[in-house]
Formats: sequence, structure tokens, C-alpha cells
Amino acid sequence: VSRARVLGLAVCAVAAVSGCRESSQASAAEFQATARAREQKLQQRLAKADANPTKEMTPVAMWMMPAELREISGIAVTTGGRLLAHGDEVARIFVLDPRRGVVLKKFTVGNGPGGDFEGITAAGSDIYLLASNGTLYRFREGADESSVPYSTIDTRLGKECEFEGVAYEADSAWLVMPCKRVSKKLERGQLIIYRLRLQGPDSSRLTALMVPMSQVVGSNDWKGFHPSDITIDPATGNYVLISSHEKGLVAITPDGQVERSEPLPGKHPQPEGVAITSDNILIISDEASKKPAHITLYRWRL
Amino acid sequence: MVVLTQIIDVLTQGSDRPVRRLFAYYAIVAAVVAALSFAFPDIMRQVAGKGVNVTATSPQLLPDALEEAQRGIIGFGAGSLGEVAVVTILILLGTIVLMMPVTWVYMSARPIPGHSQALVQTLIILPIVVAGIIIVVQNSLALAFSLAGVVGAVRFRTNLRDTRDLVYVFLSIGVGFAAGVQSLAVGALVTIVFNLVSLLTWRYDYGRNALTPTASSQWAGPLETLASPTGMHEIPDRDLVLSLTPEKADALADRFDRVRSVLGKNKKKPRFNAVLTITTDYVPEAQKQAEMVLQKVTKRFKLDEVVQHTGKPSEIYYLVRLKKSVPRDEVLTAIHDNSDGMIASADLELAEPLQGRDGDKS
Repeated sequence: VSRARVLGLAVCAVAAVSGCRESSQASAAEFQATARAREQKLQQRLAKADANPTKEMTPVAMWMMPAELREISGIAVTTGGRLLAHGDEVARIFVLDPRRGVVLKKFTVGNGPGGDFEGITAAGSDIYLLASNGTLYRFREGADESSVPYSTIDTRLGKECEFEGVAYEADSAWLVMPCKRVSKKLERGQLIIYRLRLQGPDSSRLTALMVPMSQVVGSNDWKGFHPSDITIDPATGNYVLISSHEKGLVAITPDGQVERSEPLPGKHPQPEGVAITSDNILIISDEASKKPAHITLYRWRL
Repeated sequence: MVVLTQIIDVLTQGSDRPVRRLFAYYAIVAAVVAALSFAFPDIMRQVAGKGVNVTATSPQLLPDALEEAQRGIIGFGAGSLGEVAVVTILILLGTIVLMMPVTWVYMSARPIPGHSQALVQTLIILPIVVAGIIIVVQNSLALAFSLAGVVGAVRFRTNLRDTRDLVYVFLSIGVGFAAGVQSLAVGALVTIVFNLVSLLTWRYDYGRNALTPTASSQWAGPLETLASPTGMHEIPDRDLVLSLTPEKADALADRFDRVRSVLGKNKKKPRFNAVLTITTDYVPEAQKQAEMVLQKVTKRFKLDEVVQHTGKPSEIYYLVRLKKSVPRDEVLTAIHDNSDGMIASADLELAEPLQGRDGDKS
């Protein structure tokens, strides 16, 4: 009787499990359908935002990051429209599809060296990861779960400046790196953006763009401006900076003219990264705090 | 429970050997886990392997925070109350599934008879509490400090009878931690290894001091004297005496010495001066083989006790009076040579304190 009962139980269990199992094909089809639906919904929201006569920016999408990106720091858009993202402490790069909210792949720089990584940018086929002490890690995109070789460039600016972001200005082949804090007292009334030329006869030449802080602050009630990240507006070529401390957004021309200085749209508990796509979508990344780490997409109005 | 017992009976073909029954239990658990992992891989990954850096494979859909905000947290999607509830319940059930065999081993494989029922129940309940706390506190330093403050206000103080009990409590906390950080797979492996090691150390009586005489060798004579019709006191149960704590045993030994000083005035030599312990799986056959040898190599012998065990060899105790011409090693060699594969081990413990007093140096 016992054996018959055990056999009966086993048969029932196998039948139940077989019925519950979601096949991989069904799962893949559901994945594609969800991704398509997200794309459509994003288009609808973008159209709605474009039709809105006010300048108010509302989120058109918001994706929660995986646990590994809990301390998401810098983000950058590639030429293909994908988003590179990394955490604060480990050189592990996530490649995302920001329009659909999908992690496409992730790879590690070398053996995942530790550090205080603050910004990332794509310069052609090269990717640059910036540590707060001014060390740049140069590497190329790798396959999913691969480890890519890298080289380092020491800007030797670590003592003068605490870096928080980096962006690549394709027209001039400059890496632009704003200082969050400067050590020299005389320069504290200025927003300093270092520019490092990567190519050409005067490669590795370093210049600094200084913008009076009063112009950066503008009419806002900020006491200063401490950039968390920088990106280049693909439409205008302006430098767009955000600050986690001031919860502000500033747009500056390459000549140093402040074009915009305003509070960040929406609610951002800890904005650490900014990027703008070629089709005018502003992406802001937030570290986990009261909410899980996430990226928020807005229609970027010129 | 009855169904589980029946399944284990079928798998072990009715064997009552603890290791077999334990393996049968784990086989059933493994089958259920494999089936659940096959049917609900994501849920099982969260329950059993999340804390061991099992990362999702790419491509991976990220949760839509805008949709979640509109829908609220009620439902069964990622991060919803439904998912949290299912995962939490599975984690807590998992701790019970892992701790059940630990309590069986605790209750069964004990060198000291008897166990604390309160501790058995604690072993089941403690990991549930610990897992619950860890789930709540996870990733929050502020909550961890708050917890330390709250727990600091509660006093835990208890005396455990056996130091091994403390290890069981530690294991229980460890399983609770593993469950709380959603790594029940680690907890499962720890309990499996723990149970097997516990059973094996019990089965082979590991750690028994082979160099010094055991309590039984010291007390064989006094106990025998006390057991005789002329003794002043009734002999206590042998196993009961051997289970005494060292302090109580010393006190009792002093008492035996005093009694012996009263009884030993007739200056007669004790009838027996050694205890032969034989471990075997085949009691009647081993008895027959051993007695054939003892008839040749001892002056006299007497079957003292047969202690039957389930799951490990039984023990046969003989009280023997050795011949002066036959040393201890020769007796043991003769028993081993004539064991015919029926005797697992044999040990001869000389009653040295008695020898000293009687001047018998055999």
C-alpha cells in the first residue's frame, strides 16, 4: 500500500510540475511582447510630452536597476542608442536598452578593479571610466559576462580636483571632466571643467574651462554647484551638468556661457548620472536611497 | 508526517539505520526542490541562491517603476506584496525542512541518554525568528543598529547541559542567517554535512580517550562488590553510573572507596580484574567466538551486559579474571584472531586501582 501511495504521489508531482513549467519559448515570446509594449508606451508618452505646451518635464519611463547597480554612478549613451552604466565601487559595466528597460549585457573591466568610479563615456569604440582621483580607465566593449583588457591614464589632477563625471565631446575630441570640489581657494568661486584632448597633434593637452559660480547658480537659491555628472547635448553641443547636492541642472556652452540653470525635473533622491540620447531623451540615474536605484527618462526640451 | 515516514520506509526498505533514513529524507527534499526549481525557477532562485551572488542572465527585463507606482504594490509581480509573501513563506518553510533532520540527529545520536525537549523545539523555532529578522534588517545599517538596541534590552541566559547542545544552537542560528539572506542552498549543505558528521562521530564513538582507563574499568570491581548479596547497597544501573558528570562520578568513586574499605577486610582477591568490551553487529556469533577464546586465556569470565544499538554495532561486556601468564595484548590478539569476521573491535580495560591494592600485577 505504501509503495502504491508513494508511486501515486510521484506521478501527481510530476504531472503538477510539468503543468506549471513555463517553456523557454513561451518565456522568450513574453519577453519580446513586453519589450514591444514598453517601446509603444514610451512613444505614446513622448508624443504626449511633445504635445504639452508647458515646459514642465514629466517622466516618460522609469526603470528600476538590478541589485548590482544599487550604487549606480555614471551613465553614457553609445552611438547605437544603448546606455552604459556602472556602479560606484566595482568596474563592472552594464549595457542597457533605455527605451525598453532591458539589461542587454554586462562585462567587467579587467578583473573588476576596485575604486571610486564616478563617470563613464563612450568615445567611438573606446569607453572611458573615470575614478574620482582623476584616473581614467580605457577599454572596449566586451561580450556578455566577459572580462575586457584596459589601460589607465593618470590625469594627475587628483590632488586639485574631485571628479564626479566625464563626457566625450566628439567635435573636438575632448574628454570633459567637471570638478565637484577644488582644492585651491582662489578657484572656489568658479565651476572648473577640465578638458583633455585625446587625439591630434596636441593629444593629452589639458585645458580648463572656468565659469563664474554666480552665473552657474543664476536665480536659484543654491550656495554653489557641485556637479555629479556631465553629458554633451547631441543637438547643441552644450555641456549639461547635474548636481546631486543642489538637485540642479545646468547647461553651458563650450565657450562657458550658461544657457540653463534650473532645478532638476521630477523627484530625484540621489541623482548621480546624466545622459541625453540623439532623439532628445534626457536620462537621469539615481542611486538607491529611499527608493531602489533607478533611471528616469524625460523628453529633453531645448 | 505519516506519509513522509511511509515514503522513507519505502526508500530505505524498512531499514532503521539513521544514515539511510537521513539520506532518504534528503533525497525526498532534493526531489521536491528540483521539481519546484523546474516549475518556478525565479522564485526558487530568490529563496535558495540569491545571497550567493547568483545573478540574472542577460537579457533581463528591468521592473517598470512608473507602472509599479500606478499599480501599487499589491499583486504578484516583481517586488509586489504577493511575491514578498511567497518568498518569505518558502524561506521560513525551508528552515523547518532543514532543521527537522537536525533535531532527529540531536535526539537520536547522543552519547548521553536523554535530551531537552525545550532545546529540540528551540532548534525548530530559532531559525525562523533569525531568518525573519535578517529579512527585515537586510541591507539596512540603521535597522541593524536598531535591532542591536532592541535585542540588547532582552536578556538571554541559559545553561546548556552538554556543550554539544551549543553547537546545535549555533547551527540553528546559521541556518536562520542563510535563510534570511535567501541562501537556503548554503544552509542545506551545512546541515547535511553537520548531520552526517554528527552521526558518524556518534556511530564510531569518536573522541573516546583510548589511553586512560574508562570509568567502567575503575568501577567494575566496586560495582561487582556492591552487586553481590553481601553488599551494603544495591548496585545502581551501570549505564546510569557511566552517564554521570565527572564531578558526580568522582564523588561516587570516593563513596565506593569507603564502602570497599569496609568490605575489603577479608583480603580476598576480587573475582574479576578486567572488563572486556566487544563491539559487533552479530551478537550471538561474536559471543560464541569470544567465549571460546576466554575459556582458554582467562581464569574465569562472566557475561556482564549486552547493550544493543540501532544503527551502530552492539556492545558485549565481559568481566574477566586474567591469568598472570597471559598479558592483555595476547588476550586481545587471540580474540581478534578467532573473531571470524564477527567482531568489529575488542578492548580490554584492566582494573588498575584494584590491581594496585591487591598486588595483582598480571
